[in-house]
Amino acid sequence: MDRLPLHHDLYLIAHGQAGKLLIHPASMALGLAGAALLELALDGRVAVARGRVAASVPAADDGDAFAGDLLALVAGEPGDVRTPIKKAAGDAYERTRETLTDSGVLRRTTRRVMGVLPTTRYEPADIASVVRASSGARSAVEGWRQPDARCAALCGLVAVLRLEEELYLDQPSGQLVGRLREISRESSREVAELVGVVEGLIGEAAVAVYR
Amino acid sequence: MRTQQSIEQFGYRQELHRGVGLADLVFYGLVFMVPIAPFAIFGLVYAESGGMPVLAYLVGMIALLFTASSYAQMVKAFPLSGSVYNYAGRGIAPPVGFLTGWMVLLDYILVPSLLYLVASIAMNDVIPAVPVWAWVIGFVAVNTTINLRGIRMTIRLTRVMIVGALVVLALFLLVGVWALLQGKGRGFSLAPLFNGDTFSWPIVFAAVSVAVLSFLGFDGISMLVEESTGGSEQVGRAMRLALVLAGVLFITQVWVAALLVPDPDGLLTSRSDTAFYDAAAVAGGEWLRGVTSIATALFWGLANTLVAQVAVSRLLYAMARDRQLPAFLARVSVRHSVPANAIMLVSALSVGLGIWMSLRDDGVGVLSSLINMGAMVAFVVLHVSVIVHYTLRGRSGAWWSHLAAPLIGMAILILVVINANVLAQVLGLIWLALGALALLVLYLLGRRPVLGGVPADRF
Repeated sequence: MDRLPLHHDLYLIAHGQAGKLLIHPASMALGLAGAALLELALDGRVAVARGRVAASVPAADDGDAFAGDLLALVAGEPGDVRTPIKKAAGDAYERTRETLTDSGVLRRTTRRVMGVLPTTRYEPADIASVVRASSGARSAVEGWRQPDARCAALCGLVAVLRLEEELYLDQPSGQLVGRLREISRESSREVAELVGVVEGLIGEAAVAVYR
Repeated sequence: MRTQQSIEQFGYRQELHRGVGLADLVFYGLVFMVPIAPFAIFGLVYAESGGMPVLAYLVGMIALLFTASSYAQMVKAFPLSGSVYNYAGRGIAPPVGFLTGWMVLLDYILVPSLLYLVASIAMNDVIPAVPVWAWVIGFVAVNTTINLRGIRMTIRLTRVMIVGALVVLALFLLVGVWALLQGKGRGFSLAPLFNGDTFSWPIVFAAVSVAVLSFLGFDGISMLVEESTGGSEQVGRAMRLALVLAGVLFITQVWVAALLVPDPDGLLTSRSDTAFYDAAAVAGGEWLRGVTSIATALFWGLANTLVAQVAVSRLLYAMARDRQLPAFLARVSVRHSVPANAIMLVSALSVGLGIWMSLRDDGVGVLSSLINMGAMVAFVVLHVSVIVHYTLRGRSGAWWSHLAAPLIGMAILILVVINANVLAQVLGLIWLALGALALLVLYLLGRRPVLGGVPADRF
């Protein structure tokens, strides 16, 4: 089975089995946008260095509209790496969810709370997709497999988004986060830098005057 | 575009969405200052000023208009959303920025305690059966829950709160003026502005050292510079406008209240925390006392604490991120997108200090003086930053805005600090000494203060 884009994996890890988002939407959106940019960087389509980003290839339709638009954003406005992440975060959540629903990974369900108020949830159609999404990070932490750059990026994002409990590993939280960060740091310079940028943006969002 | 380039020059990029106009900047400043702020400290200002609270507020407004002018200059030079910590660090030197941030921290970190205490005293005036300390715990519990859940002031909520406060104020003024016309109180008089029997400059400056508390928060507007539609120019204009508007509102309400005080001579010695509500009761009866008390509790205890919490969290976060405070203060809760550690620290401090001060007769006075001391010292350094950055380093020829205005503003503030409460002066000096010690420790640990864009080896 084809591997899902990094931001799709992150989306699945950040939701419970009933489709409930486990972290703040602002943090999630920044994480998803950061994950998409990380994927572009690891594919060699953008170059990131010392806080700057530039497109290495022209924007093209490769199937993932969100990543394509992010690439176009970088191509149109190269410069500070934080700018495209902030801009893309605006609709990152809805677009990722929509793509996962269209591809059948998520299933839209509507229920009525107390039989009256309708609520919509997007649940995983198959729990195996969630297990697959986090399996790389689990293997890396347990030392079963050498993590590649993509896996290291996911580990870093899971650490800064404090989703370590969703890996269901029998380790103390602090120790697990430390190991995830270590894997991310020991990977490529781009991974370490972009994960740090996402963490900084999450901090700034938390102390913003107005949301 | 110029602002954007300027931000980049200091190692940052404009990230925040530019969408806050002049009116909303002014409203934000007013929520921070609280349009009905004198309700809570009227008795104290009345007593300190020898029955001339209007003069105290007038001098306070003039002093802070000079401060606003210096803020406007520094925001123009460094269009970053920060506090005086940023401007002193960049305008003079990072170690000075650290010490200024340390002093303004005294203001920011104590403000929530004062807000809770004042709100609790107001509620105790309405329901005396519940002691002040119990109200303090209740307010801190409610606010901590709200803050940890990530609930913030929105632009719309800011407008609603301002309208609510102005409605209560208008009600008090209408009923108060009507009562004076009916012969209640002492009738119209210039005594609250100037009373030859009690006037002396030390008395006026001592009163200003308390009255300026009502104006603190106008500087919070500078936090929105990156979101301002008109950039740094608009922020400077908004600060001046908010100060003048607040000054007019403060002067009007304390003038009316001073004429309605039931026992003026007694208030000069009692420094009652409920003097304003007593004056409201003289004007309109117990219902107006209740309305003004509850409005104070809601505005100080809920609305203002929301913005104050964000302000202190931002300062703690910025200083911790620059490795000038312990790193745990820069950690945030991803689940709720809030600076949870900073919130818990401020809440714990607020409970402890709030309960302690609620057991002291002069609790509001001591907290106010300490807060004002921190802010006044930081504002003095802000004026110095303008002179150093523009006149000494930049060789600016704009002698009024870059030399004379900061010097005048600084002189007034120094007089206010000299005449402030002695306990506040002593505690302020102790706090400054602790800051110097912390700075020394940072140097010994090899973590000399550095700000983005300012090289460490320059100093």
